[in-house]
Amino acid sequence: MVSVKEIPGAAGLSGDQLLDIYYKMLLARIVGQRERMLNRMGKGPFAVTGEGHEATQVGTAFPLKPGYDWVVPYYRDIGVALTIGQSPRDLLLAHLSRADDISSGGRNMPSHFSDPPLRIVSGSAPVATHLPHAAGIALASKLHGLDEVTVVYTGDGGTSTGDCHEAMNLAGVHKLAVIFVIENNEYAISVPTRKQFAVRDVSIRAQSYGFPGVTVDGNDVLAVYAASKEAVERARNGDGATLIEAKTYRLVPHTSDDDDRRYRSREEVEQWTAKDPLIRYRTWLKQHDVTDERVLDELHEKAAREVDEATDEAEKAPTPTPESALRHVFVEE
Amino acid sequence: MTATTEAIKTHGLTEKQLLQMLEKMLLARALSIRQRMLQRMGKGPMTFSGEGHEAAQVGSAFTLRPGVDWVFPYYRDVAVAVTIGMTAVDILRGFFARRDDINSGGRNMPSHFSHPGLRIVSGSAPIATQLPHAVGAALAAKLRRLDEIAVGYSGDGSTSTGDWHESMNFAGVHRLPIVFVCEHNNYAISVPWRKQAAIENVSIRAEGYGFSGVTVDGNDVLAVYGAMSDAVKRARAGEGPTLIEAKTYRLMPHSSDDDDRRYRTPEEVEAWSAKDPVVAFPRHLKELGVLDDSAAKEINDQVNRAVDEATDQVEQEPQPDAQTAHRHVLVEQEGA
Repeated sequence: MVSVKEIPGAAGLSGDQLLDIYYKMLLARIVGQRERMLNRMGKGPFAVTGEGHEATQVGTAFPLKPGYDWVVPYYRDIGVALTIGQSPRDLLLAHLSRADDISSGGRNMPSHFSDPPLRIVSGSAPVATHLPHAAGIALASKLHGLDEVTVVYTGDGGTSTGDCHEAMNLAGVHKLAVIFVIENNEYAISVPTRKQFAVRDVSIRAQSYGFPGVTVDGNDVLAVYAASKEAVERARNGDGATLIEAKTYRLVPHTSDDDDRRYRSREEVEQWTAKDPLIRYRTWLKQHDVTDERVLDELHEKAAREVDEATDEAEKAPTPTPESALRHVFVEE
Repeated sequence: MTATTEAIKTHGLTEKQLLQMLEKMLLARALSIRQRMLQRMGKGPMTFSGEGHEAAQVGSAFTLRPGVDWVFPYYRDVAVAVTIGMTAVDILRGFFARRDDINSGGRNMPSHFSHPGLRIVSGSAPIATQLPHAVGAALAAKLRRLDEIAVGYSGDGSTSTGDWHESMNFAGVHRLPIVFVCEHNNYAISVPWRKQAAIENVSIRAEGYGFSGVTVDGNDVLAVYGAMSDAVKRARAGEGPTLIEAKTYRLMPHSSDDDDRRYRTPEEVEAWSAKDPVVAFPRHLKELGVLDDSAAKEINDQVNRAVDEATDQVEQEPQPDAQTAHRHVLVEQEGA
């Protein structure tokens, strides 16, 4: 393991941190694959996964302080949830709607992440409705004089909503400590970005709200990390909001209920598969002598084992009792 | 006014057209003053004054083809309505909620302009809800391959709404023949622009939707006309939308129910009164040699007479018959 200064392009990360990032990406990939598999086996109702988005998700979430900063993810953010501290077990309990699911006690749709101690905030299914929540949380932090940062995630389709505009405008006016991460994967389900907006980089819209915007290669985890780190520092210092557009690609269909062959060519998917962020980062780690093939393989095995164990555990866990149906609806004294 | 330089300054407008613009501005002003007066006399329920906005409104609307292009005004746009062709009688019938009111048969709030023949489209009271309608009209024109354009008007407060964003974005994606005119008077009722957005010029947002945006002096009717002419040309040529931000000032309170002394200083209002467009434009026309004192007086007298006569006429007119309360609500079939 080499020291920090000896790793060019590592954005100041130590060797351990670089491997931690890789491990989180691996976990996210394997949890995504597992959920899709469980769905096809008839064990899980629905899978929304993030294969291909791992660099964007882990890279943006890694600079945050878990349990202190507020994280407002969208449904594809398995990599965000894991980076902040949710376990594969947490995610699979939710996927299988188990009683001990921390996200919603088995009530909400899968991938509607929530974890009170980790400050991962539950969202609704309609696209971008959580952006105003994030602006509100950031406003609360400001009013309370706290240096908490809020990070909110959405896809390219989220940018066309009124909620996105209102949230960004409020964040601009009040110079809020919020980071808007757009995971631009070129498709809002089946709608391509050329039908979504008439601009090349949607990050240009930050100027509409008086804060900086940046477009970054969303498959380059270290580039994403560097952009996020800078944005987090700005937010924590009271310098206001940032819009980060991470250009990436969803390597699998939108959900388990989608057939992406109807709107994407196989050639396009293959081209992006060749840019798989996990393979790219793995190559980088080897090229920069951060680690070797053997260690990376061990990490892979470890992650797979962790997901296997979590699957077994979650499958055995009980579903919510019918008597508890009204819990988590009203305030419980 | 024969020299080429003058033609450039006035965008090729003829003397007759320049005087028509002045007449529309003065008519709108006189109507606003009259409505405020009638409201204070207890004769009308509520007024929205357009005083101060006449240059932005007339300058933009004068470029349109009445009855062909689609106009989606907001409540302050009395000068848009009269430029497109509504009369003092039309406006005051709306104000007095009379039976023969073309806007809504006396049903809607005053200043919710509507005129099917002139393609002035009725709007709802919530801010900016007319903009998605305008975009829809522009999309229809495009799908039907017509060279009609749509114009959506709103104030600076509307720019913070989701409807505004969704309209701009959709118009950009589909390159619709539409012009968005933002009458930026620095206050959304009492909320100043600095609390509305963290940018100086809202026109900068057009770039984020993939079309042109321009900020123009909204008290300079010819500057507004020039910017709008360019935008209309682009729209008609299939080159997509434009956002025009006309910076102006509302010289009166927001409505008859507002006390603007609670949020604006008298000094600020005075400074803008010195830039009153209905004073500046005749002065400019005199400098150009298009207008003299007697012609100015004549236009003024004519406008005031029109408003007086319209007031007298409309005051005598009947209100809607109580039996008709359900009309204009559901589709009315012939013979039903």
